[in-house]
Amino acid sequence: MMRRYTLGVGERTFVVDVQELTADRFEVVVGDQRFDVTLAGNEDLPAATITPGLQPAPGADEARPLSDAARRLHSPVAATASVPVPAAAAAASVPLSAAAPAATPARAVAARGVDVLKAPMPGLILELHVKPGDTVRRGQQVAVLEAMKMHNFIGAPRAGVVAEVCVAVGQAVGHGEAVVRFMPESTS
Amino acid sequence: MDGLIDARTWGLLLQGVANVTPQSLVMLAVSFVLLYLAIAKGYEPLLLLPIAAGCLLANLPLSPLIAEDGMLRVLYNMGIVNELFPLLIFIGIGALTDFGPLLENPRLVLLGAAGQFGIFLTLLLALAFGFTHNEAASIGIIGAIDGPTSIYVSGLLAPHLLGPITVAAYSYMSLVPIILPPIMKLLTTPAERRIRMPYSQRVISRRTRLLFPIVVTVVVGTLVPFATPLIGMLMLGNLMKESGVVERLTRASAQEIANTVTLFLGLAIGSTMVGSEFLKSSTLFILGLGIVAFVVDAVAGVLFAKLLNLISGGKVNPLIGAAGISAFPMAARVVQKVAQEEDFENFVLMHAMGANAAGQVASVVAGGVLLALMGAGGR
Repeated sequence: MMRRYTLGVGERTFVVDVQELTADRFEVVVGDQRFDVTLAGNEDLPAATITPGLQPAPGADEARPLSDAARRLHSPVAATASVPVPAAAAAASVPLSAAAPAATPARAVAARGVDVLKAPMPGLILELHVKPGDTVRRGQQVAVLEAMKMHNFIGAPRAGVVAEVCVAVGQAVGHGEAVVRFMPESTS
Repeated sequence: MDGLIDARTWGLLLQGVANVTPQSLVMLAVSFVLLYLAIAKGYEPLLLLPIAAGCLLANLPLSPLIAEDGMLRVLYNMGIVNELFPLLIFIGIGALTDFGPLLENPRLVLLGAAGQFGIFLTLLLALAFGFTHNEAASIGIIGAIDGPTSIYVSGLLAPHLLGPITVAAYSYMSLVPIILPPIMKLLTTPAERRIRMPYSQRVISRRTRLLFPIVVTVVVGTLVPFATPLIGMLMLGNLMKESGVVERLTRASAQEIANTVTLFLGLAIGSTMVGSEFLKSSTLFILGLGIVAFVVDAVAGVLFAKLLNLISGGKVNPLIGAAGISAFPMAARVVQKVAQEEDFENFVLMHAMGANAAGQVASVVAGGVLLALMGAGGR
């Protein structure tokens, strides 16, 4: 589903196109900039309120004018969205509402770096093939999720080291619930 | 010795051997093949095993089981002639079918409709091959890829073809995992197979789930009266399941009754496969046309999903069209498997299930339409 948001910030108008790729991945286009956005929250979308999860940059509450140099608008589109924030532009973050600071500050993740493997649909965890500390490669089987009486292969979204297994065999999981957490990728 | 047992006595003692006919031997071989497919290959064993047993028992020389009050004949009269068995099974199917994925994405109804295209093309083909109208319609209904619907329609229109049509319908259904993937891959590009469809989190209210079977029964029953028995039983089972207030009846319908009737149905269908009726060139035509119906269904479903994808601007994975053929829920699982082969992070199962449930309803409606077109003649 594609949503177009037209935002007025001060004098400027931004057109933000949000393309829903999967339930937790979005492609956000602001002007000529394109971002991959990962939704980190697990709230039921019908119930969730859209609250920008970006911390206002220090001093931002002084309602400083948007610098022309930073034409990129880093507006998370849903609760606690994680947006790759280029350092240069971080200072230009725009607090979109007075209630801006949500529970968690935006966590910068690499476009491909997904630290949490989430259940793609509701189901029952039938098998778990990893334990904390395991090194996995992308696509390696992590779990078997039974949904609609079908055994679904759940593969690792990226190569990495398993930090935590969040579910147990026999556990029912909802859509988007964390199954496995990975060690954050070393960015250096 | 000749004095003790005369020729007449020998004749009485050996009348079984004397009545073995080449036809019955061939039919015994057919039953062995079916037994092999059911037991060794696991092709729809729940139905093919009783069918094979019925076929075996009916083709033994002078089989008392298909005599006037023989057990198989009694079963046939009890539930096939009057369509009772397929309808009882439909209650169980309704109790097992989750229409939630379809209600979440009602557009998928279109895919279920597209997945029935093979029925009508096959009907025309069968007419071209010289089958009568009623026979052609019964052969076309194999394209519903739904056993009870096939049995119901052909039982009304062409009872003499019931055996081959049922065997074709169930054999091809068991071949869904083998036949579908090559068709799906041939008609789609890897990029199309990788299209992700976001999982919908729309919560379907209890009221909607309860209203759905009632509304569908009333609407379909009014529009296509001949589909009323099938859709009515399917939706009765679903209403019992969704209401949650008659759990014992739901469980009995989905398990005990469905299992018992499946045994009776299989035996009775098998008993219709006697040499003189089954060993005809028409049987080969039926088997051949059945697979045409199947393939055309799948092709139409995928192509229609491609069209939807085009219209929606690239948001429909064409693979889910293949689930529109019915064969619930196997077709949807095959779709998910093929999608995941291309991209292990792609989960289109829920959408495929929606299309699949739509195909189930559309099969029934198509059966009703066929009966209406034929004036439900033949009786």
